[in-house]
Amino acid sequence: MPDTSDLLVISDLHGHYGESHVLHGMNLSVRAGEVVTLLGRNGAGKTSTLRAIIGILGQREGSIRVSGTETIRLPSERIARLGIALCPEERGIFSSLTVAENLRLPPRLKAGGYTDEEVYGLFPRLLERASSQGTKLSGGEQQMLAIARIIRTGANILLLDEPTEGLAPVIVKQIAEVILSLKQRGFTILLVEQNFRFAAKVADRHYVVEHGKVVDEVAASDVTRRMPEIQAYLGV
Amino acid sequence: MATLFGIPLAALSGQLLLGLINGAFYAILSLGLALIFGMLNIINFAHGAQFMMGAFVAWLSLTYLGLGYWWALLLAPLVVGIVGIIIERTMLCRLYKLDHLYGLLFTFGISLLIEGFFRQLYGVSGMPYAVPEILTGGLDLGILYAPIYRLWVVAASVVVCIGVWLAVDKTRLGAYLRAATENPTLVRTFGINVPVLITLTYGIGVALAGFAGVLAAPIYSVNPLMGSNLIIVVFAVVVIGGMGSILGSVVTGFGLGILEGLTKVIYPEASSTVIFLVMAFVLLVKPAGLFGKETGGAAQADNGHARSERGNLKTLGIPLAVLLAVFAVAPFAVYPIFLMKALCFAMFACAFNLMIGYGGLLSFGHAAFFGMASYISAYTAKQWGFNPELSILAAALVSGGLGAAIGGLAIRRQGIYFSMITLALAQMVYFFCLQAPFTNGEDGIQSVPRGHLFGLIDLSSDMTMYYFVLAMFALVYLAIVRIVHSPFGRVLSAVKGNEPRAVSLGYEANRYKFMLFVFSATLAGVAGATKALALQLASLTDVFWSMSGEVVLMSLIGGLGTLLGPVVGAFFITGLQNYLAQFGAWVTIIQGLVFIICVLVFRRGIVGEIQGWSSDLMKRSGKLNAGASHGESKLSTPPA
Ligand SMILES: Nc1ncnc2c1ncn2[C@@H]1O[C@H](COP(=O)(O)OP(=O)(O)OP(=O)(O)O)[C@@H](O)[C@H]1O
Ligand SMILES: [Mg+2]
Repeated sequence: MPDTSDLLVISDLHGHYGESHVLHGMNLSVRAGEVVTLLGRNGAGKTSTLRAIIGILGQREGSIRVSGTETIRLPSERIARLGIALCPEERGIFSSLTVAENLRLPPRLKAGGYTDEEVYGLFPRLLERASSQGTKLSGGEQQMLAIARIIRTGANILLLDEPTEGLAPVIVKQIAEVILSLKQRGFTILLVEQNFRFAAKVADRHYVVEHGKVVDEVAASDVTRRMPEIQAYLGV
Repeated sequence: MATLFGIPLAALSGQLLLGLINGAFYAILSLGLALIFGMLNIINFAHGAQFMMGAFVAWLSLTYLGLGYWWALLLAPLVVGIVGIIIERTMLCRLYKLDHLYGLLFTFGISLLIEGFFRQLYGVSGMPYAVPEILTGGLDLGILYAPIYRLWVVAASVVVCIGVWLAVDKTRLGAYLRAATENPTLVRTFGINVPVLITLTYGIGVALAGFAGVLAAPIYSVNPLMGSNLIIVVFAVVVIGGMGSILGSVVTGFGLGILEGLTKVIYPEASSTVIFLVMAFVLLVKPAGLFGKETGGAAQADNGHARSERGNLKTLGIPLAVLLAVFAVAPFAVYPIFLMKALCFAMFACAFNLMIGYGGLLSFGHAAFFGMASYISAYTAKQWGFNPELSILAAALVSGGLGAAIGGLAIRRQGIYFSMITLALAQMVYFFCLQAPFTNGEDGIQSVPRGHLFGLIDLSSDMTMYYFVLAMFALVYLAIVRIVHSPFGRVLSAVKGNEPRAVSLGYEANRYKFMLFVFSATLAGVAGATKALALQLASLTDVFWSMSGEVVLMSLIGGLGTLLGPVVGAFFITGLQNYLAQFGAWVTIIQGLVFIICVLVFRRGIVGEIQGWSSDLMKRSGKLNAGASHGESKLSTPPA
């Protein structure tokens, strides 16, 4: 049952792309300061859920409450201003902007975001490459940039869509450290992951998504015990 | 006197300065077009009209409010920008999710509306606008005497262009703009209000046009038509430069202006067409444009503009028979001259519609084929004494050849670029016709003899001529039906439905489109040739861009991509013109309104709507039947 410390509460969320119905009544909630993952096979509807939360899924019904505010009818830019930000699966680095411009693009919405010094402290590579074209960065660097630009806006809920996808193990490790430090700083994070080892390292809870619905929930403390089940869900 | 390659230096530098001024206007206008295209994905056809509007605001505020040039420089962009914002907020914003072509059609309607409005109020003669006091006089620069105002225009536009470039490239708002051009959805998730950004961009883009209009007012006289010819050249500039970069459009604009100026000195006859020639050349060697990035524009999958052909298949044989029967008796009730005219336009619209309906390509240059053919048949009939069938044949061959040349270039680009290219190349044909001696320039070829069909049947009576025109119409219509249902037509449908897939199946999409274009041009030629004989006149109107616009309108209102739609549309528009002929520029205003209304609420056109309703009805009754039989089958299932 959602309690008052829930920052993000989704109930009976349905979503469509044109004719095709992809979310079939999602229910989930995330408490302040938690890191929660959405696990599931390809096409389960994880990305669509994040898109629905931030308001860019064409059609959605049901309820999504962000810090107590119902957002199901709000346009994306209004939802964002409630303090929520997305790091998209495809990273979304703009090629016509430099690294520094990409970083500063999202306007500051609230107090409490990272300062530029803190951001560059966390991601020194971005300072070195500040004036190069955004898309000239390596995949790992682009992922760092995509995370960096949403932590300085003051948004306190971050939606991260497969931040480790296609990256080398050392970079994955770095990203895990970044996420842990974000958590320490008090960010609330909803993380989509295919890499369960990574997810297990950073998350407090896991939701399993299948066919556009949450079908199970696993607390971090239960992970070892329920490993076989989880592996069955993920088909590994 | 100093010379360079035998050309007096003073003349050379004088023309260079003039070229630079034209270049300044090209640069500001193409800059605005590029900004708008980046954010809205729409080619703003109204840009020329908005430029003209800027000049008018200057003239009006001087005449009625006593506000001078400097006020106008401030006021005109503001007024034009605000009107633009209103248009964008109330209407244009509904079109973003549709095929880009609708944006082009809508803004074309807006430009007709604005132009017609000012023509209705102020005629076409043009009003002088004095150069402001402190910019009068000239500077002796040694090799040339340069009027200060002209230097000012060049300087002001360079400053504005650089200003816009800096604003887009170096500021925060500019970064929003660039980002939103790439991925508006993602930019919204950052809390940035992209719809407002879009509105603002449109406002600023057209405000730039208004500003250019004020600059132009003292140089050209202020007149309602000052924008429409300019905008076609600017389209060519945009195709040459590619719309990828701001600086690119500015450089291209100035460069082409200078080139035009140079041509005026070296070979004056070509000065009005040199930019179009450059465009043709660039299309051959670098189709994406000098600064363009090919943004995967090929084969946009959204083909909302054309009804599926299958719907028409059923409704095909019957209408033609009925139609012909109606037409056979029509001249006893309606003035045959009017009917002939409408039938010729119906042929023309059917030919045009073949291109959009089955090639998915909107040609904005079909007047070239119609008009050229009309000249050829008029000339061969009058000067060489060709029989009607022979003169029509000759005209069809020429327009087919012209179609091969224009089509070969234009199909190198898709979507709106295709439309702009056909428009620009057709404008080149217009300039050719304007200058070539055989067309008689402004007078046109008058009193064209209708002659004897096969040397036997005298067509001089309107009734006989009418039935000849009707026969031609039936011929053209049947030819189109044949094409649509041939294997060739089926391949075209496949290509149009899903080009990448058709290409992967081994069809050379472009070859099919090219053949279709040549065919469509030939039939448009038949229409033009028949018209020249029927109305005994070939004139510049036939080959002017507004004729291309009219044929688009006819097909749109009748139903793009339907077989019968263009015929209905042609009668509707010809009737409208006939009826409104005594009201002057009202025709243009009404045509503009019809365009706007069609695009906003009536996209399927008359025939498309009717087909839609009837197929909805059929579907509904089909569903009912299905439901009934379903119920029956349930009832008859024996209980378990
Ligand atoms: N733009 C789209 N249009 C139509 N259907 C889509 C679109 N994007 C996704 N889908 C469909 O929606 C369903 C859910 O997709 P979604 O991207 O949310 O899955 P996912 O769980 O993020 O998968 P992955 O692990 O591969 O990223 C899939 O069946 C997919 O095919
Ligand atoms: Mg995904």
